[in-house]
Amino acid sequence: MSRLDALKTRIKEALPGLECVIGWQKGYDALHNTPLFIRGEADVDKLEWGALNVHNPAVYLPSFAGKKVGVVVKGCDSRSVVELLQEKLIDRDNVVIFSAGCDGVVDIAKVRAKLAAAGLNAGNAEKVAVDGKTVTVTAAGKAVSMPMAEVAADKCLRCQFPNAVLADAFVGDPAPQVQAAPAADADLAALDAMSVPERMAFWRYHMDRCIRCYACRNACPMCVCRDHCIAQSREPHWLSQEDSVTEKLMFQVVHAMHLAGRCTECGECQRACPMDIPVLALKKHLNRTIHDLFDYQAGVDVAAIPPLLQFKLEEDNIKERSW
Amino acid sequence: MAAVKYIPREKLPEWLKALAAQSRVLVPVEEGGSVVFRQYDPARAPVFGSDATAPPKGAVFPACQELFSYAYGKEGEDNAPTLKLDPKTEAQPTVVFGSKPCGARGFLIFDRVYMGKKFPDPYYIAAREATVFVTMACATVENTCFCHWVGSGPADAAGSDVLLTPVEGGYTVEAVSEKGAKFLDNPALTDGAAKAAEAEAVKKASRDALGEAPDIASSPAALLSLFDDMEFWRDQSDKCVSCGACTYLCPTCYCFSITDEGTGTAGRRMRSWDACMHFQFTLEASGHNPRPTKAHRLKNRVGHKFSYYPTLHDGLIACCGCGRCVKSCPVSVDIREIVQNAVAKAKG
Amino acid sequence: MPVLTGKELRIVGFLCNWCSYGGADTAGVGRFNQPTDLRIIRVPCSGRIDPLFIAKTLINGADGVLVSGCHPRDCHYAEGNFYARRRLEVLKRFLPILGIDPARFDYTWVSASEGQRWQKVVTVFTEQIHALGPATRHENVSPELLAKVASAIQGGNRVAA
Repeated sequence: MSRLDALKTRIKEALPGLECVIGWQKGYDALHNTPLFIRGEADVDKLEWGALNVHNPAVYLPSFAGKKVGVVVKGCDSRSVVELLQEKLIDRDNVVIFSAGCDGVVDIAKVRAKLAAAGLNAGNAEKVAVDGKTVTVTAAGKAVSMPMAEVAADKCLRCQFPNAVLADAFVGDPAPQVQAAPAADADLAALDAMSVPERMAFWRYHMDRCIRCYACRNACPMCVCRDHCIAQSREPHWLSQEDSVTEKLMFQVVHAMHLAGRCTECGECQRACPMDIPVLALKKHLNRTIHDLFDYQAGVDVAAIPPLLQFKLEEDNIKERSW
Repeated sequence: MAAVKYIPREKLPEWLKALAAQSRVLVPVEEGGSVVFRQYDPARAPVFGSDATAPPKGAVFPACQELFSYAYGKEGEDNAPTLKLDPKTEAQPTVVFGSKPCGARGFLIFDRVYMGKKFPDPYYIAAREATVFVTMACATVENTCFCHWVGSGPADAAGSDVLLTPVEGGYTVEAVSEKGAKFLDNPALTDGAAKAAEAEAVKKASRDALGEAPDIASSPAALLSLFDDMEFWRDQSDKCVSCGACTYLCPTCYCFSITDEGTGTAGRRMRSWDACMHFQFTLEASGHNPRPTKAHRLKNRVGHKFSYYPTLHDGLIACCGCGRCVKSCPVSVDIREIVQNAVAKAKG
Repeated sequence: MPVLTGKELRIVGFLCNWCSYGGADTAGVGRFNQPTDLRIIRVPCSGRIDPLFIAKTLINGADGVLVSGCHPRDCHYAEGNFYARRRLEVLKRFLPILGIDPARFDYTWVSASEGQRWQKVVTVFTEQIHALGPATRHENVSPELLAKVASAIQGGNRVAA
């Protein structure tokens, strides 16, 4: 039985006791899947499992507080579920986690770039076939094959958790561990190679086109303040309505700092950005800092306390300045 | 209307430079993987092939606009309080060059709101009158395009002042409005009669590629009849994450918010884009919110475009069918699907 | 003020009410000579300082930010400064990725009796900021630098006509 069929079987069994089960289904064209909310048995057959399940369904869980729901997760998504449990933002008894081994998902922006290089428009995608290590997209009658390693999401290129870290129903064979590819952190490496003033210019360049839609925030499973974000509060007045680079960047700093020690690097902020702004680099840098300082990784252990919610009398890696 | 003219592709910079000498010229350029409208710079090649990520909405209706500045002060021996106001209604002459026709057509929906008799908006009117749209008919269409659903098409010149159509080696150029006709007086443009038939064929081919549009004529009544069916709206909005990408990238979304941004005794009154998908959009001072959930908010967005607006404005749908809300949605919420579901559900 | 225009830089200090604010007061009462660039904001505890206070101050154009609280184990609220230490260290390491020189921000501990230590901290930090000079804001990045960085980024992600 395929992973997909096994998932469907398990979901059908559990569905009567659940408000809904969140997964993925086919979207408006061949290149896009879209989140699916299974509320009846007929919906179960719409479920998809594979490289186009780019979204992180954990983002919806806190909105179902008090109701028992199911969620289908990839390995990376399961870390968000664990982080939500760590922070007691969802109740373990109210979530049923379905999962299967994940062989990686595509980054639609990379597919778009590949198609553009072949003179094609991703907006004309007709067919997508994923076969082991190759993704073949047919657009405007022309098929373009691209190695999965070149169009996979960055997170997949150095995935430590292709299998869920926590699941109630894990079906099929586990997926193999991947060897971290050097390309996985090209964005961070590029920033590291810049001087500090160049980085200022980098953010000036990119944030200029931000439209302040807050898709980065709303797609983030850890942004649980939802309708009460300080970005849109007038009192305190953290951000003004002016569309300056200062205000736009300040929001990214707010988002990143509020994720310090909590971010599981699912990459939804950057994937959701309609303007292709590389906002994930900020979180990657912060996660590296958290790892260096506190030897900690978010969302792998339900019992772990996030590093900024605890302290040591003598810190191991903080060297304070002597004057 | 004036005869069809023609400009070879390599002569475009010549024309653009001439335009840029007289006014602000905005063209679509690539920035970090997205295509946005920026002031023309001969060193940066414009991107005309695919539709821009963000429409040229900001050319007439900026994301954030200063309405006036204010300063409180004191005057005279008795320190009488003063208030100085400095309104900013002047608009810069602007040419938006290379938008798709739908990007310009969006302003026809704005016009009925901001140029009406009852509440004319001086800021909008000044910018609108100072702006000329040189649009480019679509040679290809995308999966997300649905201009034909809303009474338009890939070469619909309504809202444009000049229409270009890509043909072999260059573009045919047609003046659509009197305002636009004045912009064709340039030596780079030659007689295009010989290319006219080819241009018509390009327009027809892209229109044909869109296929038949479904019948959504009953959408105003259908959406109204579903106003209280919150289960329907819950199902439609389940996956929505309530961000503002769809509204901010929409060429027809015209809602705004007004705030005073200042420190101490001086500041500026700003008008900025607002999004009905945000909780704050209808949040009242009392704390009550008539649209407390994303289901209420998505209902408003679809209802406004396909029911309330057309009911007030002679059946004109407040959507230009550019498909940005579908394409740029992080979770692929599809407004076409919602409208069709509503029409089908209302039929029973 | 006019005599100092161009000589003084804008440095903002967030000081804990119980120790460092008292330390600064002690330095003042003792008439210790201090540079005058620092503008002090008194907070109840270094643990009350949201790292975003500092980020917003710097992004909005301050030339430097100094945070000072009670020495570890001396917190008026027992453990506020232990949490602060972690947050402030994370922020300090975060600043350079934004394009802000981390030397524009420092945090330290000064008790209410350490007037001399306060004098030293303020003097050293102010000199450090003067050595860096006035801060550039993201909005004011030079066109040359912006063009250089932009040309390295321009992708080619779209179909050109």
